[in-house]
Amino acid sequence: MSATDTGGRVRAFGAAVADGWTPERFGLLAAIGLVLLAFGPTFQVYLFTDFLVVALFALGFNLLYGYTGLLSFGHGMFYAGGAYGLAIVLRDLSPVVADVVGAGIAPLATFVVGGVVGLTLVVAVAVPVGWLSVRLEEIYFALITLAFGMLGYSLIIQDPAGLTNGTDGVIVLLGSVDLGAASVRLGGRQVYYALTVVTVLATTYGVWRVVNSPFGTVCKAIRESPDRASALGIDVRHHRWMTFIVSAVVVGIAGVLRAGLASVASPGLTHWSTSAIAVIATVIGGATYFSGPIVGAFVFLYIRWAISRFPTLEAYWELFFGALLIAVVLFFKQGAVGGLLLLRDRLLGDGDAGGGDSGGGSEAADSGDSAATDGGRAADDATIDGGRAADDATIDGGRAADDETTDGGPTAGAPGDDSRPHRGDDS
Amino acid sequence: MTTVLKTEDLRKQFGELTAVDDVSIEIDDGAITSIIGPNGAGKTTFYNLLTGVLQPTAGSIWLRSGDDAAGGDGLRDVTDAEPHEVAQAGLSRSYQITNIFEGLTVRENVRVARISHEKTRLDFRSRATGDEAVEADIEELLELTGLTHIADTSCDTLSHGEKRTVEIALALAIEPNVFLMDEPTAGMNPTEVTEIVSLIRELDADLDATFVVTEHNMDVVTDISDRIVVLAEGAILADGTPEDVLTDERVTEAYLGSDSV
Repeated sequence: MSATDTGGRVRAFGAAVADGWTPERFGLLAAIGLVLLAFGPTFQVYLFTDFLVVALFALGFNLLYGYTGLLSFGHGMFYAGGAYGLAIVLRDLSPVVADVVGAGIAPLATFVVGGVVGLTLVVAVAVPVGWLSVRLEEIYFALITLAFGMLGYSLIIQDPAGLTNGTDGVIVLLGSVDLGAASVRLGGRQVYYALTVVTVLATTYGVWRVVNSPFGTVCKAIRESPDRASALGIDVRHHRWMTFIVSAVVVGIAGVLRAGLASVASPGLTHWSTSAIAVIATVIGGATYFSGPIVGAFVFLYIRWAISRFPTLEAYWELFFGALLIAVVLFFKQGAVGGLLLLRDRLLGDGDAGGGDSGGGSEAADSGDSAATDGGRAADDATIDGGRAADDATIDGGRAADDETTDGGPTAGAPGDDSRPHRGDDS
Repeated sequence: MTTVLKTEDLRKQFGELTAVDDVSIEIDDGAITSIIGPNGAGKTTFYNLLTGVLQPTAGSIWLRSGDDAAGGDGLRDVTDAEPHEVAQAGLSRSYQITNIFEGLTVRENVRVARISHEKTRLDFRSRATGDEAVEADIEELLELTGLTHIADTSCDTLSHGEKRTVEIALALAIEPNVFLMDEPTAGMNPTEVTEIVSLIRELDADLDATFVVTEHNMDVVTDISDRIVVLAEGAILADGTPEDVLTDERVTEAYLGSDSV
């Protein structure tokens, strides 16, 4: 068989597969995968929950970076803001909330109140910090946000108001919801996983709507040329400020989830090395794609987990990430998502105009497809690839589920040990 | 004729250097005014002052504007306005070096301008493509500027001439009273120059906007201008119809004299 023949067959196969992947089927498969995963080994459920939280963190960060063109190195402060809001409310206000709503559902009510307080705190910080930061651009913006993040770090450690419990952080005890006959432990892996899935999916949809709204369109324009945008009557500084706040709120939601998952709100969350996780995940995944940060977070966490399977390599995991980052920056400027789209175009045949059409059902997806083929920035491609990524994730997660879970993750002392701060403290 | 743009003793100094030297000018609607001058005459600085990118050292800038901020003569003081405020007041511009949203498609470029014009930029709940009236406006403008066939092409893959046309479409999408074009034919081949000149004529006839053009290509200048203002060393050297200005000895001297190197 000749080479061209094989190529033709591969393309035909690719086209046939693409034909079957309608968004509805994708959605269904992803939903089934997400449900099935809840019944996997505890550590895998934990790891996937962790991935979802980091994905949301990076997604919020990318609203400012990939969409508006501002690289923040201080988004950890909003991650911490959400986390501490929840932790402090749980610690100090649980009895008050229980008095109001009754003991039965008090833990859930307190969680919601804590989340709201956390987000209010995030907005209260983001408004002035954003207002000051957006006066600067490029490296200066990165530096001022870095400085604000580290200011938050030292404030939390110094603890002048006696709220944050210094370097130890605030323990988060989620408690159990009593519904007469049944009792549900909120901090239980499966329950918390379900809570995270729902929150992350809803927030991701919200971000997707923002990105495709007039607001998000203006963000992209500002990324491309701030001068041009202002010459068209757009108040660039004000728009960046608003984006900063929206971005902070999304990161804040991830922070609330993080505190519940790690069972602690620790100062490390606002350390620059935590902010860097969002940057790294976004760069690995591809900042110009909506799904980039999600895929990047997946690659980041699961590669780190895979490395942790080999104790001799584990001590050097940062070395692997260094190498990976170099490879991405040098050879895959569009990140993992860009690479996957390139691969898809290969499989469906180069320059095959029909490929894009057969792939997606909706018009939005189609226009995204053609933009991606052009090598442009295909933020619209989001849903499909997001779905695909989540799908990959579940499949991989399931496959990995066979492995033993007794080995420690790269940062946590033991996989089931959720009382330890998850990360940020290790650097 | 009504005045749409006016400067009074406009001055810009960079240290010892006076880039724009007490320029007082009134631009009337319904005519194409060209601002010409040798390299370094202060044309681009003058534009940057008008559009709020630079703050003048002295003098004032007035712009015809329908809003409440306008005084009794319909002119509004935009001397200290920020670039986006000047644009909102009705002054649009194109740049000497093409400045468009390269990573977006032609249609998205124009959509951004329409969103700005419709003041819906803070709307994060509706779809950007959801407003049918806006989409119809975009379509109409693309047709007017002859960009319909490349509407969904990403701008970074367009030719130089096409990009310049996109920039004109962008600037017009905010429905300006005054459109400042900074060297619209810069870097174009002769065919593209012919096309852009006929486009400018067409747009000038079709739209309410008043065109002000800086240009190096003297054929283009004589072709399109109703009035020519010559800047030299930051000051107005001559001002009048093309016939008067181009036969003016001082103008010839300025071009062939000290600045000809």
